[in-house]
Amino acid sequence: MRCTDYLFGDESHFHPNLSGASQAADTGAAVIHVDGLKHTYDGKNYALKDVSFEVKKGEVFGLLGKNGAGKSTLIKILTTLIRPSEGSMTILGMDPSKDGPRIRKRIGVVQQDESFDFTTVQGNFDLYGMLWSVPTGERTRRREELLKKFGLEDIRKKRAFDLSGGQKRRVQVAREMMHDVDILFLDEPTVGLDVIMRRQLLDFVREDVRKGLTVVFTTHNLEEADYLCDRVAVIDSGRILVMDTVENLKNLYRGKKTIEVMVEESGTERFYQALGSALGAHATLSQGTEGAHVLSDNPKETLALILNVARETGVQIEWLSVRKDTLEDVFIDSVSREGSE
Amino acid sequence: MELPNLLKLVYRNIKVNTDYGTLIILIGLPALYLVFFGFGFQALIPAGSSASTYLSFLTPGIMAFQTVMAGTVGGSMLWADRRWGMLAQLLVGPFTRLQYLLGIMLTSVMFGLAGAAVMLVGAYLLIGTISISVVGALVIVAAILVGSIFFGSLMLLLSALVKSNNAYNSVQVLIIFVVNFASTVFYPLSPKLPVILQALFRVNPLTYVANVVRDGYAGTMAIGDAYQMAGLIAVTVVFLFLSVRSYMRSGVSFS
Repeated sequence: MRCTDYLFGDESHFHPNLSGASQAADTGAAVIHVDGLKHTYDGKNYALKDVSFEVKKGEVFGLLGKNGAGKSTLIKILTTLIRPSEGSMTILGMDPSKDGPRIRKRIGVVQQDESFDFTTVQGNFDLYGMLWSVPTGERTRRREELLKKFGLEDIRKKRAFDLSGGQKRRVQVAREMMHDVDILFLDEPTVGLDVIMRRQLLDFVREDVRKGLTVVFTTHNLEEADYLCDRVAVIDSGRILVMDTVENLKNLYRGKKTIEVMVEESGTERFYQALGSALGAHATLSQGTEGAHVLSDNPKETLALILNVARETGVQIEWLSVRKDTLEDVFIDSVSREGSE
Repeated sequence: MELPNLLKLVYRNIKVNTDYGTLIILIGLPALYLVFFGFGFQALIPAGSSASTYLSFLTPGIMAFQTVMAGTVGGSMLWADRRWGMLAQLLVGPFTRLQYLLGIMLTSVMFGLAGAAVMLVGAYLLIGTISISVVGALVIVAAILVGSIFFGSLMLLLSALVKSNNAYNSVQVLIIFVVNFASTVFYPLSPKLPVILQALFRVNPLTYVANVVRDGYAGTMAIGDAYQMAGLIAVTVVFLFLSVRSYMRSGVSFS
């Protein structure tokens, strides 16, 4: 039974998992199995270095990483667009090197870039249905349901390329539901969307996840991963740094606090250099464009240390705050540790 | 009944790429050649010749020229699919890369044959009478089919290799111009031409497409046409291989 069977087919098979998708993730069989995956485009530099993981049926698996971390390369390999240089994998129990077309028949892919046929929204749905062998009558039924569900009825006659960014994204996601999908790959689907549109899109996906859809989702937006994913893998420089359920990852950092600090521009370099040297093994410093984050398991002591460094370097602190642990802390800490090793 | 993948892709190519602009260029431009060149050059021929003589010479040439136009349609399809993201989207669908490429090629051939048929109807309206034997018609179809695949391969090769839209358009215009005018589409190959131009005529596949179509049109097929077709098929196989290879290797827009 595929998600679209639930969405469009026999409702008697519908078993909503209102407690969240993690339950399905715990009990489901692995639909993606990746072992020792490596990939290089030029034969020298590796975009992926020994990546291994499994995704279970009904799970939302997040690939979290900054730009250029290797997320999109991994998605291209998983969706059979490119072959990995080394390693093995199975998708839905099939080998992509032999069963590419059969796998592709059962997956949906929302790519990072927009992709439309040069026709109307409705025309794009119809063409997609035809290409994926959806029978004519069924095609019309699915199209109408999806146009309604994704709020696209009023713009059905508009050319897809004339739509706003948010509308285009909704069309791209909805279009993938025209055919039967076992796994939906979403490669940064919310880039360029405003907060409301972003949440709306994630809710559409969440709704289908409750009905059994497996989702592989890449993002560099940590709130999104927190909102949507059962498990996340933090990926950087082609390596998976940490991988666990969102809750477990947060628990790892329970008790730790992130201290955000921003200093006057003229003293930035001097301050962070001194702070880096002063921080012990119990705190990690990561510097961004708007200040720095210090993840510490002894926030009181670290706070005093920051103030002391500011005094000694004569640099004025402009912003200082302590906040609760979030997925962002996990991400920053993982990437910072990797960078320093 | 479910359509085979190849036909689905052809249907999609026709549906998406037959906008009015494409049709006007595909049919309108060669038709304009037929009208302006047909009557313009006819006026230069000394009195005593039949009014339809040059038009009768030009018609099969313009039909052959449709293979170049069909090739540009094929190249543009690949280019547009790369540019608008549909290439990668289709390739994560239940199709193989080869099916995608063959879909474009088959669409080009269909455009070539349809364009040639339209030119024939246009010429009939201008000349008043056209008589083609069944064998002649088969020879014409075969030459246009092979010619369309050749120029389709050439343009696919171009669109797989060229990285920018401007470069693609410029090179395409240059190819159309050289291929068109250094061929026997508009005039026969004269021994009075400079040697370099003669050589250019001889290496230009459109010359052979035009020659064979002309002989099929006039019912003057001879063993020379078989040799010309054999040469044309050989060159087409080479270019088809090159275009498929470069397309498969280029990582076509998703490297």
